[in-house]
Order: sequence, then C-alpha cells, then structure tokens
Amino acid sequence: MEEDFELLAKFKNGDEQAFESLVRKYKMAVFNTIYSIIGDAQEADDVAQEVFLKVYTKAGSFKKKSSFPTWLYRITVNSCLDELRKRKDKIISLETEFDQDEELKLKDVLASKEEDITEELRRKELENIVQKAMNSLPERDRIILTLKEMEGLSYKEISQIMKISLAKVKVWLFRARQKLKGKLSFLYPQE
Amino acid sequence: MSCKKFRILLSAYLDREITKDKEKELLNHLNTCVDCVRELEYLKQIKRMFILKGKKEPQEFFETRLFELIKNKRKQLIWQLYFPVIKRTIMVIIIFFLIIAGWVNYKKLLYHRTTETISDLLVDDEIDENFQEELLVTYYSPLK
Repeated sequence: MEEDFELLAKFKNGDEQAFESLVRKYKMAVFNTIYSIIGDAQEADDVAQEVFLKVYTKAGSFKKKSSFPTWLYRITVNSCLDELRKRKDKIISLETEFDQDEELKLKDVLASKEEDITEELRRKELENIVQKAMNSLPERDRIILTLKEMEGLSYKEISQIMKISLAKVKVWLFRARQKLKGKLSFLYPQE
Repeated sequence: MSCKKFRILLSAYLDREITKDKEKELLNHLNTCVDCVRELEYLKQIKRMFILKGKKEPQEFFETRLFELIKNKRKQLIWQLYFPVIKRTIMVIIIFFLIIAGWVNYKKLLYHRTTETISDLLVDDEIDENFQEELLVTYYSPLK
C-alpha cells in the first residue's frame, strides 16, 4: 500500500514512469473486473483504458482516505455502471443460456483431475461458462461476486467500494451466490 | 436459528468473514443438518469454478495503446485544466477594463456637465439679453 502511495506521489510530481508502474501493476485486476461485470472482452479493454485515463487525470484529487486499490476499484466499478447504462440504450445481447453440450462440458471439467484435462482447456471452458452465468445476473450481483470471487477482496474493502454496510455485503453476496447457483442448477441435480 | 440464517453464515464462513462464536454455532449446526452441508459443498464448488477460471489478459499492447491515448488527450487535458483559470483571468481583465472605461466616462461626464452648466448660463444670459431687447422693442417702439 505504501508502495502505491509512493508511486502516486512521484506521479503527482511529474514522474510518468511511476504511473506506468501503477498501470503494469493493476491492469490485470482492472481488466478482469470489468470483463467479469460487463461480459465483453473488447469493451472491457476500452473501459479499462478509460479507467486508467481517469486515474491519470484525477490522481491529483486522490486523498489518502482509502487505499489506492479501493479508489481504483471504485473508479472501475463506476465506469462499468456507466458502460452498462449506455448499453441500456443499445440492444446488446450477451449469451446467458447454456445448451446441453456446455452443461456436460462443465460437469466434466469440474469432475476431472489435473492429468485428465489440460489447464488451458479447463480454463477456457470455465471462463466461457462462468461468464455466461455471470452475464445473466443483475449488475449488483455481478459486481459483488466479481469483487469477492475474482478479486478476492475483503468484505470491508467491498463495503468501501460499493459504499454499503458490512451487513449488506454479507446479505448481497449470499443472494448473489444463490442466484448464481440457480443459473448453474444443472450442476445440482439433487435439489 | 433457521437454516436460512445459517446459509447466510455459510456464505460468510466460506469467505472467512465470520466471528469465532458464529463459526462455532455454524459448525454445530453442520453436524446435524445434511442440507446445509450439501449447500456448503455447492458454494465451495462455485468458488472453485472462479479459481479455476483464472484471469484473462487484456488485449495486446495495452500499455502502448493507453500511453498513446494519454498523449493524444494530453493537449485536451491541459486545455481542460487551464481553461477555467484562463476563463477567470479573461473575466477579471474584462471587468477591470469595464471599470476603467466607466470611471473615464464618469470623469468625462462630470467635466462635460461642468462646461455645459457654464454654457447654459451663457445661453441664459443671451436669452435674457434677447428678452430685454424684445421688451424694449415692445415698450418703446412707435405705436402702429
């Protein structure tokens, strides 16, 4: 955290290399958060660029009230919400339904052991399937699941980013997981 | 406590965001409730899916494209940054010139009014003279 503050301070003093270091450090996190929320890799790339452009222009207004990643994630989530709002005007359909073939593949991937399936194939299948399930959820659930499951943030960090109480984080996450479980119900034939 | 409440706790337990007391309470419940044990397994499986899914790389030359974008926007950004200052400075200069112009005009007006008063008096004298001449003519002209 101190390292981020140092880099930011250097950047505020005109050191562009410090900004480059921050971009290198956080580009994966920012891109993956956006991709998981908006569900389109090309658009996620564009939004990620906008996020870093905002960081570049607003670095001067950053106060040490929160950590740099919390501030960055807040900008990222807000940019995603802006993008999703823009989308409401357009008709963009993301794939949200699973066909039988995909259901079987997912079952295989989850049941298989390391040696049965290559890591890359497993990753691609899961990426496709999890993303489809995520796309079908309301935006609030997508955001909270992304911050927890993809980014591994604590409840406290999530509450700061989403500006909600810790109790709400707990309940919203529970509900989001229930909805996601519902979308992947073919994995749970017992119920 | 109902199973529903324990399920909210399950979600927090999975994230290691639960107090020791609640954890103890939950573990006691799990010893007796098969449904909640199964629910915990589902939640673990969902968590595992996200872990196995891994992270995706942004498109190629992300930084290069970003720095190119910043370079292109920099002029615009500098303008955006300095525009309010420039606008304010221009406003101050305009207001300053308006005040100066107003003051100069006021001075001119005062001077003009002063001179006008004198000339007015002169005109009044002329009128007076004319009036007196007319009066003399009226009184002393031969009767028709």
